[in-house]
Amino acid sequence: MKSDNQTKFMPEIPANESEELKKNVKSASEKVISDYIDRMKKASKNRPETMQYFDEISNFFGQREKEIREAKKNGKKVIGYSCVFAPIELILAAGAIPVRINSGWYDTSKLGDRVVPVEVCPVIRSTIGAQMIGLSPYFELSDAVISTLTCDGMTKMSEILSDAKPVWTMCPPRMKDSKQSLQLWKQEILNIKERIEKLTGNKITGKNLRTAIELMQKATKAFRRLQDMRKGTPVIMGRDAMLVNQTSLWDDIKRWTEKTETLCNELQKKASQKQLACPADTPRVLITGTPMFWPDNWKVPSLIEEATPQGIIVADELCSSDRILNDPVGIDEWTMEDMINAIAERYLMASTCPCFTSAEGNIDRINWLTTKVKDYKVNGVIYYVVRGCMLYAMEYARVKKVLDKLNIPVYYLDTEYTREDAGQMKTRVEAFLEMLSSRVDI
Amino acid sequence: MTTAGLDIGTQRVKVVILQDGKVVSRKQAFSGFEPAKAADQALEEALSQAKMSRPSLTHITATGAGMKMITFADSTISMMGADAKAGVYLIPSARTIVDVGAEEARAVKCDNKGAMLDFVVNERCAAGAGTFIEAMARALEVSLEEMGPLSLKATRSSPINASCVIFGESDVVTLIHRQEPKEEIARAIFDAMADRVSSMVYRLGLNPDIVLVGGVAKDVGFTSALKRKLGINVLVPENPDFAGALGAALTAANRSKGVQK
Repeated sequence: MKSDNQTKFMPEIPANESEELKKNVKSASEKVISDYIDRMKKASKNRPETMQYFDEISNFFGQREKEIREAKKNGKKVIGYSCVFAPIELILAAGAIPVRINSGWYDTSKLGDRVVPVEVCPVIRSTIGAQMIGLSPYFELSDAVISTLTCDGMTKMSEILSDAKPVWTMCPPRMKDSKQSLQLWKQEILNIKERIEKLTGNKITGKNLRTAIELMQKATKAFRRLQDMRKGTPVIMGRDAMLVNQTSLWDDIKRWTEKTETLCNELQKKASQKQLACPADTPRVLITGTPMFWPDNWKVPSLIEEATPQGIIVADELCSSDRILNDPVGIDEWTMEDMINAIAERYLMASTCPCFTSAEGNIDRINWLTTKVKDYKVNGVIYYVVRGCMLYAMEYARVKKVLDKLNIPVYYLDTEYTREDAGQMKTRVEAFLEMLSSRVDI
Repeated sequence: MTTAGLDIGTQRVKVVILQDGKVVSRKQAFSGFEPAKAADQALEEALSQAKMSRPSLTHITATGAGMKMITFADSTISMMGADAKAGVYLIPSARTIVDVGAEEARAVKCDNKGAMLDFVVNERCAAGAGTFIEAMARALEVSLEEMGPLSLKATRSSPINASCVIFGESDVVTLIHRQEPKEEIARAIFDAMADRVSSMVYRLGLNPDIVLVGGVAKDVGFTSALKRKLGINVLVPENPDFAGALGAALTAANRSKGVQK
C-alpha cells in the first residue's frame, strides 16, 4: 500500500491492528473453507474423487498462492480483474497470470463499512475491506487490476482500490445493439492490450495470441462438457460444479482444463453405472442473480442442497459460475485484426450482465434464462440478490413475468454478507423446495 | 383418525387436535425460552381437554419458526405450506392466504386444494407484523387490545414510515408532539402496516378470495385497514391465530393416510 498521506479513500489503520484483523479473518476464512468442503463431501456419497483437486485449489491460502508467488519471483506478472469482461486471452498471450479478485468474505464487508456506507453492495464493501487488511493473496500479488465499469459499485470501487494498486478501467457500453458500442469496446480492448504489453514487457503477437485463444477454447470445451452433464439425471451436486467453475478464475487454466476433463470422464462412468449424486426426483433448481463468490457465499447453495426436502442446483446464470467460460472466442481468420475483433465481440456480445440494455431491454439474459430452464429441465428458480445490488434487483420483475408464463416458480431471495440470516433463509428455501417437490410428484 | 398440529411461533406455541377432519381441541401458550417444552405441555393440555392421550395420535406435524426443535414430531411442514392448507380448509374459496404473526408477515398463493403456488415473506423487518402494533401501543400509552377499536374512531390518517419499527416509532412520536388525535395516530399505524402487507399481496398478483390469518387477524384495526388498502373484502376465519397449527394437523392427517404431500 502507498503511504497513507497519498491515499484518497482508505482510512489509516495502525499496522498492529491491521495485522491482528488479518490474522483473525484469515483463520475464520480457513475454517469456513474447510467447513464448506466437509459439507460438500457429506452431501453426496458418490462425490467424484477428482473433486479433491478442486477442493485444494479452492484454498486461497494454499498451493495456488505459492505457485503464483514462485512465478512472480521468476519474473511473471500477475494481472487481477474484477469482472468477467477482462480479456483473459490478452493477459495469457503476454505471459501474465490472470486472477479474479472479487471478495466472497463476509467478515471483510464490515471493514468496508469504514470507507463506504452499508447501503453499498456487500461484494464491493467486502472487496474493499479485504484490501484494507491485505487479506486476498490474489489481489496482493497483482501488479495491476483490470476493473470494468459495469455497475455503480464497480465504478467507484476502481477509484478506491487505486489507493493500493494501479487500476486499469475498461468502460463497456451500456447498449450492445449499436455499431458505435462495439467500436468503443474494441478501443477499450486495444487500450488494455497496450497496457498489458507495457507492464509485462512482452509484445502480444499473432502467434502467442492464437495460442492463448486456443488454450481458452479448450477450457470452454471442458467447461461446456461439465455443464452438459448436469442436464441429465444428477451426477454432480451443484455446489461441486460451481466450485469447479469458480476455481477457473484463479487456477492455471491448462491444468484446470485437464482436471475438468478428468472429472467429466469420472462423471460419465458414474452416470453409466447409475451412481447418482442425489435421488433422480430431487427438485432441480437454477440460481440467477448477484455473483456468489467463494467461500462465504456458499451459504445459499448449501441451504438448497442440504434442505428438507432437498434440492439440487443443476444450472446457474451467475458471472461467478456458469457465465465464466461458456463462450469461446470465435475466429474465422487467424489475423491480428480478426482475433482482436473476435475477442471484443466475445466479451461484449455474449454477456448477459444486467448492466446492459437495448431496444428490447436485457433480452439476452431473458433468452438465456428461458433456454437454460428448458435445457436443464429446471423445476424452480432462486433469484438471488444481495442488498444494494440494484441492477439484478431491478430486473427481477421482468424475469418473474417470463418464468410465470413458463409455469416455472421463482423465488426472490434477498440476503446480505452475513451468516446470521441462515435460519431465516432456510425457512424460505425449504418452503420453496416443498412447493417444488409437490409439483415434481405430479 | 386423530392427528396433532403444532405451530411453534416466535411468541406463542399453538396446538390443534384434529379428529376425522374436525378440530376437537386447541391450546396455546407462550413459547418462552424452551418452546419445545411449552409445546409439549400445550399438547398434553389439548389432549386432556379432548379426553385423549398421546397414543391416540397417529401423526404429529410441526410448523412455525421453531418447528425443528420439536423432536417428538413425526414430520414438519413449512409455515407457508401450512397456511395454504388451513386457509382453503377454513374458507374453500381462498386463493391468497395472508398470515400476519408477531414477527413475520407472509402472503401465500394457493390452488383450490390448498397446495401452495407462490409466496412472499416480509424482508428482515418486523414493521409489517404484530410486534409493530405492540411497540406503537406502548408509545400511545394504550393497551394492545384498545388499539384496533381506537383506530376505528378516526376518519383520517397521517402517513408514517413503516419500513422499520424504530423509524416508525420516531414518526409516531413526531405525531404525538404535533398533538394529533390519538385515534388518528392509531389508524396511521394500521394503515402503514397494511401498506406493507398489501404490497406483498400485490406482488403475488391480486388473487381473491383473500383470507387473513395469524394473531394480528384478530385485530379489527388491522383488518379494516387492509380492506381499505386492497379495496376488496378480506375474509377472517374463526380462530385465525390457530391457522398454522391447523394446517400442520391437516398435513399430519394426509401423511398418516399415506398421501405424502
